[in-house]
Amino acid sequence: MTHYSNLTTQMELDFEALAVESIELSLEAIDQAAELATQIPNEQRQWQTYLNALALFSFEQWLAERSPEMRVNKEECSLFQPAMANSIEAVFNLKVHGFKLCLIATGSLMDEEVTLPRAVIDLPEFVPHFYVLIDVREEQEMAVIRGFLPYNQLLEKRARVNVTADEDWTYQFPLTWFDGSLDRLLLNLRCLEPSAIPLPAVPDDRLTQLSRMRSQLEALLPQLQSPERQLWQVLSWEQGAVVLTNPELLNWLYQLQTQDEAQPDISLTPYLSDLLQLLTQKAVNVRRWLWNELDELAQEFSWQLLPSFAGANAMRSLTQEVRSPAEEFEGIVRELQHNNVEISTEARGAYRNLQLGETPLRLYALTWLLLSESVPEWTLLLIVGTPSQTSLPVGLKLRLSDQTGVLVEQELDTDENHPYFFTSVVGTQDEKFIATVSLGSGIEQTLPPFSFTLER
Amino acid sequence: MRLALRYWTTIAINAAGQRKREEIAPAKAFFLASFPEFTIHSEVSDALVQRQLLHWFKRGTQRDEKGRFLAQLCLKCFISSQIERVCQQLAVQFGTEHSFTCGDLLPFVLDDDSRRYAQAATNQSPAPYQSFSDEILQSFDPEQSSLATWTTRRVRHHRELNDFLLEQGVYLVSDWAILNDTTPKQLDRIFSQFHQLTTVEIQQAKQLLENYHAVYRAQRLKQRQAGIKGKCLPPTREQLNQINQRLSSLTPQMLSEVTLLTKLQEIASRLRQYRIHVRGGALPKDETDPMTLAERIPYPNSDTTNDQTEFLRVYRQHFLTSLDQAIAQVTSDRVTKLQCKDPQKAQGFIIALQLFHCQERSMSDIAKQLNLKAQFHVSRLLKLKAFRADIQRELLVYLRDRIFEQAKTYIQPERLQTFHQQIEDALNEQVTHVIEEAATEASTATVEKHRSQSSLFSRRLCRHLDTRSNP
Repeated sequence: MTHYSNLTTQMELDFEALAVESIELSLEAIDQAAELATQIPNEQRQWQTYLNALALFSFEQWLAERSPEMRVNKEECSLFQPAMANSIEAVFNLKVHGFKLCLIATGSLMDEEVTLPRAVIDLPEFVPHFYVLIDVREEQEMAVIRGFLPYNQLLEKRARVNVTADEDWTYQFPLTWFDGSLDRLLLNLRCLEPSAIPLPAVPDDRLTQLSRMRSQLEALLPQLQSPERQLWQVLSWEQGAVVLTNPELLNWLYQLQTQDEAQPDISLTPYLSDLLQLLTQKAVNVRRWLWNELDELAQEFSWQLLPSFAGANAMRSLTQEVRSPAEEFEGIVRELQHNNVEISTEARGAYRNLQLGETPLRLYALTWLLLSESVPEWTLLLIVGTPSQTSLPVGLKLRLSDQTGVLVEQELDTDENHPYFFTSVVGTQDEKFIATVSLGSGIEQTLPPFSFTLER
Repeated sequence: MRLALRYWTTIAINAAGQRKREEIAPAKAFFLASFPEFTIHSEVSDALVQRQLLHWFKRGTQRDEKGRFLAQLCLKCFISSQIERVCQQLAVQFGTEHSFTCGDLLPFVLDDDSRRYAQAATNQSPAPYQSFSDEILQSFDPEQSSLATWTTRRVRHHRELNDFLLEQGVYLVSDWAILNDTTPKQLDRIFSQFHQLTTVEIQQAKQLLENYHAVYRAQRLKQRQAGIKGKCLPPTREQLNQINQRLSSLTPQMLSEVTLLTKLQEIASRLRQYRIHVRGGALPKDETDPMTLAERIPYPNSDTTNDQTEFLRVYRQHFLTSLDQAIAQVTSDRVTKLQCKDPQKAQGFIIALQLFHCQERSMSDIAKQLNLKAQFHVSRLLKLKAFRADIQRELLVYLRDRIFEQAKTYIQPERLQTFHQQIEDALNEQVTHVIEEAATEASTATVEKHRSQSSLFSRRLCRHLDTRSNP
C-alpha cells in the first residue's frame, strides 16, 4: 500500500486552509498595485512590483488592524518612486514608529529560499531595522504576513554561514532565518527604541567614487537602454552601488528605459555627460559676481568680471573699431532689452573666451536674483558671440542642462547672420546649470557648472 | 498494488443523495475471466491491469463490442473509488475545522448514475450523457501518469468542488498562479537541485516560463486594471498562440497548442511538488498563547529576579487599571475597524466575543448562532490569538507609560523581551493571587494557573463587554 500512502501525503499538502490571520486585499488595492506596476518598463519586474505593492497594502491593513496607534509612513517609500522601484525589487524606506522597514513579497510558489536584493542589505542608504516577509496570494486576493528578521540578526546569520551575494545582485537566504512570531514584531515596533538596532552609517564618499568612475559610467549606462537589460549585466557592484544610491542617475536610467521606442529621446545620451559633470564637478558660484567677486574656479577658467552696467555710459563712441568686451557686452544687453528681454538692473556679468576647434568664441554670462517668487530664484543668461564680432559659425549649438534634464538646446539659424545668440534659464538657489557649446561632428566644450549659493 | 475489487465495485450517489457502494456482477465476471491470475481478494498490479483494460476499451472491435464496454466499466469503477478516496482525504484533513464531510463533497464529483452501469453492461449502448468519470477516462493518457494520479489531479481541479471548498475556507492554488509567481531563477534552482533535471530540460522550461510570463502575466495585470476578479484561468487559445509566436523566434519547431499547454502544466506540477515539499516545514513560530509564555521561560539570572521583585511591587497597583484600559482600547479598535467594513460584522464580533468568553460556548455553536457557514469563519472574525497578543502589548505600553523611568532601561531588545516576560509573570502572579483569595481547590500548579489566568482575562473582558452594552 505504499503507493496509497504517497498519494495521501500529496493530497494532504496540496490544498490549503485559508489562514485565520490572512488579510483580504480590496479591489482598490489591487487596482492601485496594477497601476504602480505598469510604470515599470521591465515586464519581469512589473509582476514583482505588483506583488510588492500588494504586500505594502496588506501590511498597512494588517498594522491598522493589529495596532492602529502605529501608522505606516510611505513618504519616502521606494514603491512610489518608479525610478527606484525600477532598479531595486523590494519595498524599502518605509517607516513605522521611527523604524525603517523593508517588505519582501513572495508569491504562490512557496520557496525555501527567500530572495533579497543586495541593495537593501549592503547599501546603508536602504538598510532597514526589520525585513518583513509577506506571502502574497494574488489569485486569492489575500496576503499573510509570514515573518520578520531584524537587520542585526541578518548580519549575524550571514556571517555565521558565510553567504555571499549572487552575480545578479541578490542574496538567497533560508526561509527559516525569519521569525514567524509576528506578535513579537509588533511588540518591537511599539516598544523598542530604533537605536536598539544600530544601522550602518551612510558612506560620505559616494560622490568621490562617482567622479572616479565618471567616464566608465558614461560609456556603460547607455547600454541599459533595453528595459530587459539588468544593471548587474552591465555594471560591477561597486559601480552599481554608486548608481543605485544616486537618485538623479536612477532617474536618468528610468527615462532611458521608458522612452518611446518609436521616438527615442536623442538628447538623453549627451545629457548623461552633463549630468555626471553636474554631479561631480565643482561649480562656479555666480552669486559672488553680485558681490563683485570671482571665486577660484571662475578665475581658473579665466572668467573676467564685467562692470555693473546699470547707468552705463551711453555717450560711448559708436565709431570705435574695436570695442572692449565690456562695451560689446553692453551693446548686446541694450539690444536684448530693446527686444523685450527683461534684464534686472541688479544683474552682473562676466565673460571668457573659448576656442572651439578653429573658431574663437566669446561667452558672456549674466546673473541676477529674482525675489518676486515665493521661493527666491536666480536667472542665468548666456550669450555666445565672437571676440571679433563677426558672424557666428553655422551649426553652432548651445545646450543647457540641470539635474532633471536638458533645459535648452539651441541651434543657430542658418539663413541669418548673427553676431551672437543667447538663452536664459531660471532656477531655485539649490539648482545648478551646465552649459555646452558645440559645432557638431564632436567639436564641443562643456563648461564647469554654474551655481548660485550663499557660500563663499 | 490495490485490491482487485476496486475494478468491479462502483461508488455512486443515489436518487436520495446517499453514497452507495455496489458490486457490478458483469464487470466482476469479466475482470476475473480476463485476469485469471487474480482472485477476488488479491492485490493487483494497477499499471498492468489498467494498460490492458484501456487497450480493450480503446481498440475494441465490432466483434468484441461487449468486451469494450466491460473494460470501460471496470475502469470507471476504479475511477469512482479513487474519487471517493480523494474526497475522504480532504474531509479527514480539513472537514472538522471547516465544517464539511466527505458526503458533502461527493455529489460534485460523482455524477454518474449507478443504474447506468448495469444498463450499460446489458444494453451495450453508449450513454449520451457524459459524466465526470467519463471525462477522466477519455482524457487519460497512460504514458503521462497512472489512472489514480490522473483522477486525483482532475478531482483536485474540479471547478464546483473548488468553489464549495473555498466557501468553507479551503483552497487550491492554480497552476497558473504558481507559474506567475515563479521566476526563471527559482525554476532553475528547483529543477536542478530538487528535481535534478538536465541542463537542456531546465533551459527549455525556463524559456517556456519566460514567454508564458510575457503573455499571460501582462494580460493578467491588464485585466486587474480593468477590475476583473477571480482565479487564474488556463491560458486561452489566443494566449497559447501568442506564446508560440514568441517561441518560434527562438526554436525552429512550432508546438501545438495542446502540447504547449501540457508542457506548461508539467512545469507547474513540478513546481507544485516542490511547493508541497516546502510546505511540510512551516516557519518556526512560537505557537504558545502569549498569555502563558511566562510559565515556560526560566529567569536567566538572579539579577532579573531582583528586578522582578521590584517590578512586581511597582506594577501591582497599576496592573488591573492597565489591563482594563488595554482591553477597552483593543476591543474598540477592532470594532471601529470592522464597522468601516461591515457594521454587521462588528456586531457579530462583540456577540461572538461574549459568547466565547463569558458564556463559554463552543466555536461551532457560535457559528450557528451567527449564521456563519463554518466554525472557521468565527475564528477569522475573532482572531483570538492576535486579540490577546494585542491586549498584552498595549498593556505593556500602558504600564510602561505609567512608570516611565523604569521604561528607559528597556531599550535593548533583550531587555525588552525580559521586561515583557516580567509583565507576563506579573499577570500570572496577580491572577494566582486573586485565585488564592477565592480559596479554590488546590491543583497542579500549571494547569490551575493556566485556567485561572485566562479566567481573569475573561472576567475583565466580560466586565468591559457588559459596560459596552450597558453604558
